[in-house]
Amino acid sequence: MYQLEIFQNGYATTIMFDGPERLSTLLQRAGVYTAQPCGGQGSCGKCAVTISGAISAPNAAECRAGARLACQVVVEGNATVVLPDSRPDEQIETGMAAHIEARRPMPGRYGAAVDIGTTTLVAKLFSLENGTCLGTAAARNPQTAVAADVMGRISAAMAGGLVRLQKMVAEEIERLLVACCAQAEILDVPESLVLTGNTTMLYLLTGRDPTCLSRAPFQADRLFHEETILLGRRAYLPPCMCAFVGADITCAVYATGMCEKWETALLCDIGTNGEMALWKDGTLYVTSTAAGPAFEGAGISCGCASVRGAIDRVWLEGGKVCVHTIGEAEGVGVCGSGLLDAVAVALQSGKIDETGYMEGDSLPLCEAVALLPRDIRAVQLAKAAIAAGMAVLLETAGVGPDEVQVLYVAGGFGSHLNMESAVTIGLLPSGLAGRAQSVGNAALAGASMALLDRDAQQAMARIASAAVPVHLGGNPQFNEAYVEQMLFCPED
Amino acid sequence: MDLHEISVQLQAGKAKMVKTLVQQAIDEGFPAQEILEQGLLDGMNVIGEKFKNNEVFVPEVLIAARAMNQGVAVLKPLLVEAGVQSTGKVCIGTVQGDLHDIGKNLVKLMLEGKGMEVIDLGTDVAPETFVQTAIDQNCQIICCSALLTTTMGVMSDVVKAAEAAGIRDKVKIMIGGAPVNQAFCDQIGADVYTADAASAAEAAVALCS
Repeated sequence: MYQLEIFQNGYATTIMFDGPERLSTLLQRAGVYTAQPCGGQGSCGKCAVTISGAISAPNAAECRAGARLACQVVVEGNATVVLPDSRPDEQIETGMAAHIEARRPMPGRYGAAVDIGTTTLVAKLFSLENGTCLGTAAARNPQTAVAADVMGRISAAMAGGLVRLQKMVAEEIERLLVACCAQAEILDVPESLVLTGNTTMLYLLTGRDPTCLSRAPFQADRLFHEETILLGRRAYLPPCMCAFVGADITCAVYATGMCEKWETALLCDIGTNGEMALWKDGTLYVTSTAAGPAFEGAGISCGCASVRGAIDRVWLEGGKVCVHTIGEAEGVGVCGSGLLDAVAVALQSGKIDETGYMEGDSLPLCEAVALLPRDIRAVQLAKAAIAAGMAVLLETAGVGPDEVQVLYVAGGFGSHLNMESAVTIGLLPSGLAGRAQSVGNAALAGASMALLDRDAQQAMARIASAAVPVHLGGNPQFNEAYVEQMLFCPED
Repeated sequence: MDLHEISVQLQAGKAKMVKTLVQQAIDEGFPAQEILEQGLLDGMNVIGEKFKNNEVFVPEVLIAARAMNQGVAVLKPLLVEAGVQSTGKVCIGTVQGDLHDIGKNLVKLMLEGKGMEVIDLGTDVAPETFVQTAIDQNCQIICCSALLTTTMGVMSDVVKAAEAAGIRDKVKIMIGGAPVNQAFCDQIGADVYTADAASAAEAAVALCS
């Protein structure tokens, strides 16, 4: 029997183990979270640790990263590991109104709405009697440690990891609920829950085999809109629209009220996946495109989440590059919104051309942070996927970009992005910037409404069942637009 | 003019410029085959080689391929007229359950660039379709692509289907795609794995010669 001592945030934990084990496996077993945006491939370097004791020699991936990586080190005997302190001031988008009218609430005194994002979990606790929001808590989705993207998690579930994935997310939600109750200083537990998320997240949450989501024709065999028992409580799962547009988008669409108005509206949730919904003449067209994690700061050499010291704004002043960091701290990296600004500034100042070619080896933003050519390429891939998806969605519905009367931008990245930069790099068509409305975490807002008004659940079911999915996979129109949009300023 | 300029512009992804230069070369009387080889293909080979060495990334390759496509479009009528001899026949597709075809299309482009005749079966292609096409069209090679870890297993079914149809000794099976590697190739009994489009085209030519 060996022991691994784990130090983080000034606390020590010890875990016992029998034989050689990967450090990430041991940390997971100890319930300690480490970021693994690359899914443990050893390529992103985000799980760097300080470790001593009986451990494996650095492998090729670690030599490349110039650090010991939790996903690569094998602990062979007694060892001590020091983890970077977790950041309590990480900004996760939770914002929305503090009060919703409790018109026809789910049963009980207290209830919670939870948004299960691929990357982030957010929970809000409400009084079911008067609709007051009593507490909010957020955390990383612990499944990220298994795989950063949805497809990786589906693979893991199919390879026998379904129960484990379910347990991971359920336990984290339970922790969030406890944290919310502590904030509200109530001893009762919430009796009713609304749990929203993309289709895969709901499959994994309910322990349902996601094989049907893993390959074409991508037909979900369950779309939810059902009340069940989860985490020992009454739980409502809002309806998904199809395999690739989930209950989170149904909730977001409902929250904006876009389907109750006679204007042409586009809802855009930009994250690892770019989900879009277009309302035109009584029909809701929906689609989803794989943007990759660049806009979340992952896969970017100097990328980081919205933590203290993250560059979140970049602009030009008299030809000079200026930056703003979260908490006005020393720059440690660049988050999604800062990345978008930085690329826009580089285009405007001619540091990169329309094909993304960079003169020179790097693009310094501040003393410790610089963009590399491959970072620009990662942004290009993400931007192309979103812009091409949007172009095909609009074309399918027969809507020109100028005909869209309002653009709802949802999600954490969406709420912080600078519209002008988004237009400069061609992420959004130029006509739309002036009509954009940031709606924050609209999925959570919709879920909260479903918690406090069961009529909303029926309305969501109507929205979801009438939605028209637009498939982009293997769509030649999309492929053409994708390559075209790879350019920062597409040719006519 | 210097045909090398076409190659340089193609590498920079300047599609409009490539089109203009190809037309100019035609007007100046360069043979179509020469424009293709010394201009367009030369540029694409440089990009392919750089990609192999991690000097350039996917967007550059796609942008260059787009420029190449537009240049080839200008050249195509002349190439058909010249009746260029094909160096081999291939059928290519993304395997059943998978709809990702950007990588597959790149390989197709590079194969055509090497003078091969390519039958594109598209995406979501059943193992039987690969095999039947190879039989009907007398293909020397079947090329399979997959992007998902959940669909790469279908490649093994293609190998089995070729065995069952009794053509395994007549047709070579090449595989590629992000989750695939040499170990997987050996494991399922396919003939060749290549990591990128340029190597795939080279390997295919070698198999046919």
